Amino acid sequence: MRLSRRAFLASTAAAATLGSGLSRQARAARSPDTLVFGLSSYPPNLQPWSNAGAAAGTVKMLIFRGLTSYDPDGTLIGELAESWERDGETAWVFHLRQAVFQNGAPVTAEDVKWTIEQVSAATSTAYLRAEFQGVERVETPDPRTVRIVTKQPFVTLPVLLANYNMPIIARGSTDNGGTPVGAGPFVLKAQERGASLDLVAFDKFYKPGLPKLKSLKMVAYSDENARVAALQAGDVDLIEYVPWQSMAAIEADPKLRLETTEGPFMDLVFNGKSGPFVDARVRSAVAFAIKREEIVKAAFFGRGKPLQSLPFPEASPYFDAGRSTYWTYDPDRARALLKDAGKPEGFSCTLLSTAQYGMHKDTAVVVQQNLADIGIQVQLSLPDWPTRVSLGNRGQYEFAVIGNAGDSNDPDGLSAYIDGELPPSYSRSFGLAVPRLHELLAQGRAEFDQAKRQAIYAEVEKTTQEHAPFVGLAWRSQGYAMARNLQGFHNLPGALTFYSGLTLEQATFA
Amino acid sequence: MIWALKRVGISLVLVWIVATIVFLAIHLVPGDPAELLLSQGGVAADPGAVAELRGQLGLDRPILVQYGQSMAGLLRGDLGRSMQDDSPVADAITRRLPRTLELIGAGAILALLVGMPAGTLAAIRRGGVFDRTASWLAALALAVPVFVTGTLLVLVFAQSLRWVAAGGYVALAEDPARHLSLLAMPSLTIGLGLAAVVFRMARAAVLDVAGRDYVRTARAKGLRPRHILTRHVVRNALMPVVTVVALHLGSLLGGTVLVEYVFNWPGLSGLLVDAVSARDYPSVVGIILVISVLFVGLNLLVDLLYGVLDPRVRHG
Repeated sequence: MRLSRRAFLASTAAAATLGSGLSRQARAARSPDTLVFGLSSYPPNLQPWSNAGAAAGTVKMLIFRGLTSYDPDGTLIGELAESWERDGETAWVFHLRQAVFQNGAPVTAEDVKWTIEQVSAATSTAYLRAEFQGVERVETPDPRTVRIVTKQPFVTLPVLLANYNMPIIARGSTDNGGTPVGAGPFVLKAQERGASLDLVAFDKFYKPGLPKLKSLKMVAYSDENARVAALQAGDVDLIEYVPWQSMAAIEADPKLRLETTEGPFMDLVFNGKSGPFVDARVRSAVAFAIKREEIVKAAFFGRGKPLQSLPFPEASPYFDAGRSTYWTYDPDRARALLKDAGKPEGFSCTLLSTAQYGMHKDTAVVVQQNLADIGIQVQLSLPDWPTRVSLGNRGQYEFAVIGNAGDSNDPDGLSAYIDGELPPSYSRSFGLAVPRLHELLAQGRAEFDQAKRQAIYAEVEKTTQEHAPFVGLAWRSQGYAMARNLQGFHNLPGALTFYSGLTLEQATFA
Repeated sequence: MIWALKRVGISLVLVWIVATIVFLAIHLVPGDPAELLLSQGGVAADPGAVAELRGQLGLDRPILVQYGQSMAGLLRGDLGRSMQDDSPVADAITRRLPRTLELIGAGAILALLVGMPAGTLAAIRRGGVFDRTASWLAALALAVPVFVTGTLLVLVFAQSLRWVAAGGYVALAEDPARHLSLLAMPSLTIGLGLAAVVFRMARAAVLDVAGRDYVRTARAKGLRPRHILTRHVVRNALMPVVTVVALHLGSLLGGTVLVEYVFNWPGLSGLLVDAVSARDYPSVVGIILVISVLFVGLNLLVDLLYGVLDPRVRHG
């Protein structure tokens, strides 16, 4: 009764060889006119005015375009608007360029008016709905001129119009559940929910010679290691959200290139309605007790830097070196603040974060360890992300770790994180209104004079340091990695990193 | 006949219970779909916008009304529409299910091709070098989690040797060679674990059958060893192996999620995880219902077959 070992091994080897032979075909050359982009997640939807996250934003910037946008340096530039100017204190005039939507219809002032009306409508679910309540009316003196009259001086309107959640859509195209029609450089050809999207170049895009690529394939890789592996194996040409632990390996790979910027950041938010953090001295004690370098090391593999005040990038005219290091590690000061607050022995509390994302969890662990040194015993609560969001929005926590990025490099973008008079949000402290801060932010939004704005935001920074409704922890490096021969794509600086998809119109292979 | 109808009835009740439990469980878990959909960019949406979207999604109705509507839809064969992009849930399942089945099927074939002969050989040479080596390897394959196996395969064959793509999916009709090469690593990852199970079952079954009287009789009759092995031993040893493989296949229907993630294979498990993360209620209920129907259907089929094969089951 003998079954040959040789026969068994031979059959197994044959099966393996068959697999290997087939696999060699996996590297079949792609067309040089096609780029494969590894997204960090599949866009939940591509509704033009909803904020469906960074991955959705990248795809939306390809299909739709707004009145304004950014160049690779992060400078605000005209997009569908050729130019714009202020008309008195409460009006902006935008002059449209010759451009057509992907249905062939020209982009007109009426389309802009209709878009703004849709966003600001009472039944709108648009991301910028609240901001556009500040628009009094939209006038269309001629087909290529739009005059937007605001209720108050509205300094940041051109910046808001560059937001990727504020594209101009062909009038009426979304009526009765229709597909929104934009004027972007690529047309969505096909998509498979949860997997991939196929886009082809729009041949009537208003910029001559652009886009340079004929087609784009966006493939979702939810697992960050799979995303990096796909890039290293040559399956994709470009990936977003490069995990920090992989950055060194990518930099060392001669076939790849990494572009990073420090724009997104981590911070702590507090429950201002109940619990120990109602007292500003306790919040300040926490701010002085954290060794931020440890967070940068533990959560971001050294790819970031401490954030010891409000997140003003160094290149920003609002950055002040002296103020930027306010919350330096000072455990004695932290203990003194706790003593002043009547808690000299410390206390026990719960820190909300999430186990779903490593950077949130690792940041929380470091905070927990650091606070134990001043007597604050922290228990971690690490639910999944949807639960984390829900608990945050309802104020069902004591203090929490959160990761954020401004909508733009304008300091008004910070309102969403420090203005406690805005409706409850998981991304800012709960029920922690500082009236002076709200007042200053409103002033900054309405002030056109740059020097005066700088003075206002200096005051905003000092007030934030005093009341600590927001405690900065760390800047994190945000990276895109790509094949070395990919040219034209750039990671936009600072908070604009998630607008980098705008440069895909210039992307090409050397 | 009555016995068969009774079995079908029990299966239908089972599916209804599963649908109800899943519906209630997903609604009880914290996290609001409207809030999540409008908060993707890191900033919570305007509360008015969230309320508006809740209304549009029907989430402002009492949970019993939502349950009634969901069950009525299921009775009509309508799995509803995704809360994420308003596309029909059935379309996504129809597209994704065959891919997961293909992954599982390919893994099972690999497992049988490797595990069955290896198990037989190990049993025949019980205590020998091959038996000890193969048993050790099987224990290792069972102990190593699929995400470790998968990641190692990617590291070696995709990133280092660059023989295969690290992951992804191309339809068979679009590019058959690339489809098979993309299928190779994930199916191998599933197949390795399953092969270890098959190996152990086959080894045990062959040892058991080889000691039976009819095998001894066959040997005493002077039949050739190869004939005894193939006609009397392996054939009878296959029954328990196939039963175990069938049970494993059922559990793999919803359990390939890690493999799908590591290899970016757009199957049903990945769709389910995404739906749970987004609290996409109709998608979650629809996907689990389909998996349950398949599982229950498989069991029903086995029950009915047992009944056909063994009259004692029918009358018991």
